[in-house]
Amino acid sequence: MSFHEIQLTVNGNLEHVTVPSNMTLMHMLREVMALTGTKNGCSAGECGACTVLLNGEPVNSCMVLAAECDGAVVITVEGLAGDPLQDALIHTGGVQCGFCTPGVLISARALLNRNPNPNDEEIKEALVGNLCRCTGYVRIIDAVKEAARVKTQ
Amino acid sequence: MVTNTHPTLPEFEYIQPKTLAEASEFLAMHATEARPFLGGTDIFVRMRDGFLTPKYLVDVKNLDGTNELRFDPQSGLTVGAAVCMNRVVASPDVQRIYPVLAEACRSVASYQLRTRATVVGNICNASPAGDTIGACLVLDGVLNIYGKGGLRQEALSTFFLGPGKTTLKPGEIVTSINFPLPPQGCAGVYLKLGRNRLSDLSIVGVTVLAAPDSSLPSGYRIRIVLASVAPVPLVAKHAEEYLAARPVSTESLLEAVRLASEACSPIDDIRGSARYRKMMVKNLTAKALNAAWKKLHL
Amino acid sequence: MEKSKIPQNIGPVGESKPRIDAREKVTGAALYADDIQFGHRLLHARIKRSPFPHALIKKVDVSKALALPGVKAVVTGADFPGFIGLYLKDRHIFCRDRVRYVGDPVAGVAADSPEIAEQAIRLIEVEYEPLEAVFDPEFGASPQAPLLHPDLDKYTVASFILPRSGSNVSNHFKLRKGDVTAAWGKCKAVIERKYRIPHIQHVAIEPHVAIAKVDQTGEITLWDSSQSPFAQRDLIAETLGVSQSKMRVIAPVVGGGFGGKAGVSMESLAVAIATKAKGYPVKLLLTREEEFYTAFVRQGLVAYFKMGCDGNGKLLAMENTYYWDGGAYTEYGVNITRAAGYSCTGPYEVPNVHADSYCVYTNHPVGGPMRGFGMPEMHAGLEQCIDELAREIGMDAVEFRRRNCLRAGSSLPTGGTIHPIGLLECLEKSAEAVEWGKKAPPSAPNKRRGKGLALMWKAPAMPGNAGSSAWIELSEDGMLTLGVGAQDIGQGAFTVIAQMAAAAFGVPYESVRLAMPVDTRYSPYEWQTVASRITWSTGNAIVNAAKDARKQVLELVAMAWKEEIQDLDIVNGKVISYKSEREIPVKDIAIKGLPKEGGKGWMGGPIIGRGNFMPSDVTGLDAETGQGEHAVVHYTTGAQAIELEVDLDTGRVEILKGVAAFDVGKAINPDLVRAQMEGGLVQGISSALFEQLKLKNGAVQNPSFVDYRIATATDIPKVFQSILVEVPQDDGPWGARGIGEHSMVATIPAIANAIYDAIGVRFEGPPFTAEKIYLAMLDAGIVKG
Repeated sequence: MSFHEIQLTVNGNLEHVTVPSNMTLMHMLREVMALTGTKNGCSAGECGACTVLLNGEPVNSCMVLAAECDGAVVITVEGLAGDPLQDALIHTGGVQCGFCTPGVLISARALLNRNPNPNDEEIKEALVGNLCRCTGYVRIIDAVKEAARVKTQ
Repeated sequence: MVTNTHPTLPEFEYIQPKTLAEASEFLAMHATEARPFLGGTDIFVRMRDGFLTPKYLVDVKNLDGTNELRFDPQSGLTVGAAVCMNRVVASPDVQRIYPVLAEACRSVASYQLRTRATVVGNICNASPAGDTIGACLVLDGVLNIYGKGGLRQEALSTFFLGPGKTTLKPGEIVTSINFPLPPQGCAGVYLKLGRNRLSDLSIVGVTVLAAPDSSLPSGYRIRIVLASVAPVPLVAKHAEEYLAARPVSTESLLEAVRLASEACSPIDDIRGSARYRKMMVKNLTAKALNAAWKKLHL
Repeated sequence: MEKSKIPQNIGPVGESKPRIDAREKVTGAALYADDIQFGHRLLHARIKRSPFPHALIKKVDVSKALALPGVKAVVTGADFPGFIGLYLKDRHIFCRDRVRYVGDPVAGVAADSPEIAEQAIRLIEVEYEPLEAVFDPEFGASPQAPLLHPDLDKYTVASFILPRSGSNVSNHFKLRKGDVTAAWGKCKAVIERKYRIPHIQHVAIEPHVAIAKVDQTGEITLWDSSQSPFAQRDLIAETLGVSQSKMRVIAPVVGGGFGGKAGVSMESLAVAIATKAKGYPVKLLLTREEEFYTAFVRQGLVAYFKMGCDGNGKLLAMENTYYWDGGAYTEYGVNITRAAGYSCTGPYEVPNVHADSYCVYTNHPVGGPMRGFGMPEMHAGLEQCIDELAREIGMDAVEFRRRNCLRAGSSLPTGGTIHPIGLLECLEKSAEAVEWGKKAPPSAPNKRRGKGLALMWKAPAMPGNAGSSAWIELSEDGMLTLGVGAQDIGQGAFTVIAQMAAAAFGVPYESVRLAMPVDTRYSPYEWQTVASRITWSTGNAIVNAAKDARKQVLELVAMAWKEEIQDLDIVNGKVISYKSEREIPVKDIAIKGLPKEGGKGWMGGPIIGRGNFMPSDVTGLDAETGQGEHAVVHYTTGAQAIELEVDLDTGRVEILKGVAAFDVGKAINPDLVRAQMEGGLVQGISSALFEQLKLKNGAVQNPSFVDYRIATATDIPKVFQSILVEVPQDDGPWGARGIGEHSMVATIPAIANAIYDAIGVRFEGPPFTAEKIYLAMLDAGIVKG
């Protein structure tokens, strides 16, 4: 199997890595860069726990090859430090086991970037790819609304 | 049966050609061992499951204009092969002129998956459940295909041969899909029934496009495409012809619904029984026809 | 516990403090087991699994796998003769002579990469002789069924589990009270129903993962996502024949459990493989697909109910028979059967009861504990029967429940009476919240609207002597570090433990932290994080530890100040005297003590408080009648109400409103309690509408998120209402009792009753899929084909 030398920006840091063809972006973030905030929940693009921003847009990082990411800009949950969504999730109680939380944060951040004042339905639709088994989603939705308010104030 | 899903993607060679010519040549040379991919959202899953074992995955994104989403008031819409569904949904031109395409794209999986998933990829998978295919069919999509002999064009309506089977030959790459300007005053609807309210694969999907057309006896041309109820995305031809031939009425719409349901040949699978699907084709087609009819006269 | 000694001014208990672990979770800093970096020596394990539901193993040839470059170890059942199991030791780590479900582990590999391990697994050749299989628990319990565990009577078993030798029944719980036969004649109405509840999966978003390392001296370390680090230490060590203290389990942040990570399941595989690759850490991470069919599943249930009441709606008798589809091994499931047996009537006073609860071996995936521990399955049918019986005598379903539901002093099916509970209040408030009796018009002509309600009860199901312990250490900065062996699996245990410690000792919530991760080498013992017992049991232990530390501090200061202890208090991190009005920060004496008068040395020293708790009054039950003095420690009770619409075009159900009312004794953290109610309600809705492991000849047909759907953000009710009822538990900290599991127990029947209210149709069991509902409406003539 061949290896590919790539260069990309992860959370603002320029990284040079050599990755095998079959390595996913998720795997590279977790195992090569030890950015383990991005979670592996299904490796099939279904649960959303591995969601990261790739060139500003959310992707399931388990569904992207690392080799495809030459020149890319990636933001993981570790790169969201200080985002008002974090405080909002704590405040509303939208965190339980926390395993879906990094992916939820990324999806919610992407939503607020494209739509600073989403309504309930828009929030639900934006989070439909982030499975959560603990919270029943209620407080996560509240958190997105709260963060939107903070941002617009 | 024991499900032997790989923990990771099985080994393969990632090939990133620089040009269409290079990509096409490689694919032609390794016809049985190489597969092209765009977003990978389908192929990666099938590789983990062991259904596909390509030796080479050829990345056909970012090649010679495949990233282009372009609208021209004369010639219509071009969606490049590498254009992801979210871009299609977000395009003001698509929203204004081809809203049914945006609606269909929005029904696919999740936002983060649609960052990768593409309309052309959805078409090339040739799944009978492909959510966007109906919209592409009723909008008279034409594929631009690059191959050994240069570019060729093929109407989407003749593209599908069976589940997962298309007219593409080894080395051929779909570079974009073209949509002519839709008929004046048309109204489109995509109705999808999944197990969850959103994000699921379709148990049944119904696309309808209705437009005034004075050349037809009924004065309307109404297109109907059904998803997940036949080996290929199914154009309900008899129903369409029936509706074209006589004035549109409650009765004629009902008969068209019956004809659509008759045309489909669903199977039992894990998502739904053939019996239920057949009934849902009726109910959803009726609903979609009514909704399109209403929109038409707004 | 002597309640008088707990300070009555109880903040932060009762306050909705933010979670103690939330910041690390929203920043991505929280370390889950799969996140720990082990470097390049890490080996990856994969498991060779049986493709047959039932077969004899004739031959296992691992030679090709062993020869594959990069393979470090290959193990089979031949390497590990011991039995393992929580209540009934009925399984080997790897199968030895027989496989009993599709997915049963036959061999394991550790290799340099997951790819090599996977390749090696495919090179292992196993010869099987397929046997007749059992896929139905009723058939399995019959004499015609082939025996799946011919050696059942030789297995080691807990005293309160009663296997039937020479059968597939691994536990038979019997309950006999009053005279059912005589009672039927006195009934105005009697109904008989059968329900079938499918297998489902826990679907924690974090899959199971275990990393094991065995060093050259044989010391074993296991890092895993676990609800039960101490039970794992105990059981795995015993099975491998090593002493418990040579086995260390480190359990970092858990990404959801719901019972699936309780007891021992795949963890023993990782440890077993690691024993043959000494010095290497060996990681076993289940794929999501494996998770669906090889991790514990919620057992299936076939339930028969017969119940009758008099003309006033008073329940006179119940005759219930439960056949649990326990799967290939029932080491944990046997106790679910028992719990359903002693709780067989639901939360009602019934004078005459006849119940049989059978745990049956089948060739299905292994049943294990899941949120509710048998109660959601049992209540699913029972609470529909209650509605039907009420209807039979023309009584409103809420009124019927009002007349029959348990209240303080009501007699229990096992004998004895129940402690004070707020069930009636839960019933009234949830009925009010859902505007019971008022029919709202549907939102569209093609919809039908309905309301449903159900009650529930559940006791912690555990051995009578399941213990908790805790310590509290004071630091120079005045912080309290808490040691507990309890786990936070998302439910918020660490937060409420911190709140209780802060309140009991006398410091602000912010001055408390937990010594994490749970590590069996350093953390104090905890039986398991299951049974919704942590707030109550570990809560009592931490309060005792806080009292102990507090006593040490106060004794020291009393001596130094020459005052009486009863005049002293610790408030906000300071020792104060109500008499002399002196004060001193706790941090000033926590480590260094205080000088004796006149420079004659020192007194005190580093302060560590310790506490434990174990229930002392749970008694055994008679094997023939299920009668006993005190079957369980207590019951948590509650109600759920649902308003929904059914779409006549598709059969789709939309939940409009979900109401939950539970008597939690005392909400230590009201927001966390509400969060449990909401999350449980949605998990319940998910199990009612979507979830089922589709089994065909023992194989799960839908082992992926593609075809095992769970509720997404778009499937939740439009409106939630969570109601807290607080009737204190006499032996709970501040009166608290558990709520984690209860929140999904009544959801299936509440939805079923609401569907009936909407369209007049009932089903044999969930999930109430659009297709099932549509076809039933067709049969009932509600819609036309």
